[in-house]
Amino acid sequence: MTDLPDTPAIAGSVCVVGAGPVGIALALRLAELGRDVVLLEAGGTTHDASKQDAYRGTVTDPALHYPLDEYRERRLGGTSTIWGGRCMPLDPIDFAPRDWIPDSGWPIGPDALAAYYPDANRLCEAGAFAYTLDAAFPDVRKPMIAGFAGQHFTSDTLERFSCPTDFGKRYRDRLAQSPRIRVLLGAAVTHIALNADGTAVTGLSVRTDAGATVPIVAQAYVLATGGLETARLLLASRDVQPSGIGNAHDVVGRYYMCHLAGTIGAFHATGAVWHGYDMAADGSYCRRRLALTAETQTAQRIGNFVARLHHPRIADPAHGASVLSALYLGRMLVPAHYRKRLADEGAGGIATTARHAWNIARDPLAVAGFAKQMLVDRRLAERKFPSVVVAPKNNVYSLDFHAEQEPQPDSRVTLGEDRDAFGMPRLTVDWRYTRGDVTTVQTALALLSDDLARSGCGRFDFDPDMVETEMTRYGAYGGHHIGTARMGDDPRRSVVDKDCRVHGIANLHLAGAAVFPTSSQANPTLTAVALALRLADRLQVGAA
Amino acid sequence: MMRVLVLGADGFVGLRVARALAASDWAVPVVGCRRANAACRLERIVLDATDRADLRQAVIGMDAIVNCVAGDARTIVANADALFHAAADRRIVHMSSMAVYGSAIGMVAEDAPLLPDTNAYAVARVEAEHLAEAAHNVVMLRPGCIYGAGSAQWSRRIADLLTLRRIGDLGANGDGGSNVVHIDDVVAAILSALRTPEVRGPVNLAMPDAPDWNGYFLAFARALGEVPVRRVPGWQLTLDTKGLAIPLKLAEKLTGRLPPPIPPSLARLWRQDIRLDPTRASVALGVQWTPLAVGLAEAAAWLRPRSDA
Repeated sequence: MTDLPDTPAIAGSVCVVGAGPVGIALALRLAELGRDVVLLEAGGTTHDASKQDAYRGTVTDPALHYPLDEYRERRLGGTSTIWGGRCMPLDPIDFAPRDWIPDSGWPIGPDALAAYYPDANRLCEAGAFAYTLDAAFPDVRKPMIAGFAGQHFTSDTLERFSCPTDFGKRYRDRLAQSPRIRVLLGAAVTHIALNADGTAVTGLSVRTDAGATVPIVAQAYVLATGGLETARLLLASRDVQPSGIGNAHDVVGRYYMCHLAGTIGAFHATGAVWHGYDMAADGSYCRRRLALTAETQTAQRIGNFVARLHHPRIADPAHGASVLSALYLGRMLVPAHYRKRLADEGAGGIATTARHAWNIARDPLAVAGFAKQMLVDRRLAERKFPSVVVAPKNNVYSLDFHAEQEPQPDSRVTLGEDRDAFGMPRLTVDWRYTRGDVTTVQTALALLSDDLARSGCGRFDFDPDMVETEMTRYGAYGGHHIGTARMGDDPRRSVVDKDCRVHGIANLHLAGAAVFPTSSQANPTLTAVALALRLADRLQVGAA
Repeated sequence: MMRVLVLGADGFVGLRVARALAASDWAVPVVGCRRANAACRLERIVLDATDRADLRQAVIGMDAIVNCVAGDARTIVANADALFHAAADRRIVHMSSMAVYGSAIGMVAEDAPLLPDTNAYAVARVEAEHLAEAAHNVVMLRPGCIYGAGSAQWSRRIADLLTLRRIGDLGANGDGGSNVVHIDDVVAAILSALRTPEVRGPVNLAMPDAPDWNGYFLAFARALGEVPVRRVPGWQLTLDTKGLAIPLKLAEKLTGRLPPPIPPSLARLWRQDIRLDPTRASVALGVQWTPLAVGLAEAAAWLRPRSDA
């Protein structure tokens, strides 16, 4: 691992820009396939505020989208240095063109990724590629919700958790040991140079920490810089193609999607409920979810949707759970943004505080056990217990949902007027959601309520009028930057082809969630890594 | 019938080879041991395998020799010196080790340079191979880690460490290639080498597509029922290696019963991304490799009564 030398050009077979999970996975696989790789990373090995500054930008509606230098990291390992580690593959329906969702449909099907998911899972350290209860836990038969037999929802699919693995730390030695990989830190790409007719990349301009500009020349180039920076780099390189690279048809930066997530309602369970984690043989934490079936998505003409059982509102002492009450009373000790969320649940008076104290007094052992778990299984562990799971005494749960966001061209990122220290235009994000997105969540919750009632599992109450408020309470789901350079067969409506190659440019490929045409219910990292492994094979075919 | 002198027949591999030869219809093993072993029903010669005169005497009337002598560096070199000078043009199957590749990484075939840069054992193994130039008809087998029933190092010790959750998923510390090979495959390779005189020189022995160490530990833990495996943080392994190794080694020597230590060299091996290329063993010796799941199930069955006791 080296800093940039002062040589005029570095010839490498493939130049990968961005050493996040996608870039690292791609570089490692290319090296295995016998390709020489130069891996460029703008950041260093630690969080550096001066580097992070390059990510700052403008958000059109700050209530709907977090600041652009949050939820992403400019350093080795990229945003995997701060991710939560939730992994799951896309569902087959996500790839299909759905006539009720404009601009849906991938140019590849689920089969194209099937061969790559297991390796992606391994690189993410999420254990075996087994995402159903039968596949992962043939012996576990404790149901998520006793008696649940849904018409619209299944309860036997899983999400699995990475450690969460910081790809920078985890694969640093492997990158350094590989004789085929050169990692250059402090190497910020500022320009992508094209030949005169705009059919091939001739080189990259790289700004070093010392302020020098160094050209990088390779055979093939891959941008693995995340959904926001990828659009920014393409749009900012305007000397040959005036509207930006790959943007002749004004698609780059459009169709920007995150996910729609929130916590809502009250499920009054009548029977046994298991909403905790199961640990797979490989040690990874797995959790079951309530997943909307493809049939119902089709019949109801809505997007993809999953929900998890969540503990009830912490602020309301009616849950009777000493752990939740302790969290509530101890909220001054937790990080500021959690505190804000707790505060949003409503401030309590003296009476509320007393009831929380009573909850704790009735079951102090649970608090001690929870504290031990947080210390041993989370703080000290390298594979971390993924979240707070508390069984409420009154068997009332809220629902955590995570829904697909429809692609729409008006939700977009553009270049603003400001520039960063390297002279790169800063981004402006105008994230938008649709009526259809609200309908997806409203309809799915209503169907889930039906399923639960019909199965005799209990009552799920929620206020349909609060759905939009809840799903935008914290704005777009943080860290999922999807769709800004979408994949498609038609160059007028997409940026890359099914091999992730920029339309019309022989040797420029994009990796990462930027190329996803739709967002699915799934967190994007696992699929982005799988797609990168596939891209390594595609590049290999191209070179042969 | 081929008369085969088996040196080191009181060891793990030597004993299995002697038994396999005895069960064959084409060979008669003669075991060379340091001590007369009353339990051993095979024809035997008491000898010092590091002594030139003893070996010159012992090879008389032998058609071939299988050399499984292990031990410290001095023993290995002295044994090689004595054997290769005594053997003349007799067929010798000499058990060497992947240790001759030292700290090499990546895919390693037999023509890779010998790199005795890790420890005295590796230096001795390389010197022993050089001494083989004195003989004319030698095949040198370079096994990776030999596991299976009877393997103290790569089955029993690993099982103990897995049971104690001192190893499991080691993250980057378990990324090295395990290069495991089942004892049955080693024995088969040795027998094949005896009957394939045209094969000479070094032959790697490791199952094709052997897992990395994390993969080996997980597969073995499954066979043992010791799951879920634990993710062992790097700091804990460091503590175990540096802090516990010496006291545990001493205690083990004193009592013979304590949990095994993880010496730094072992932790280093688990990180070393070396992959033995087994093509020559597959093609020239026709080894049919035991699938990992089958081999681990056998190893687990061997260990089971012990853990019940």
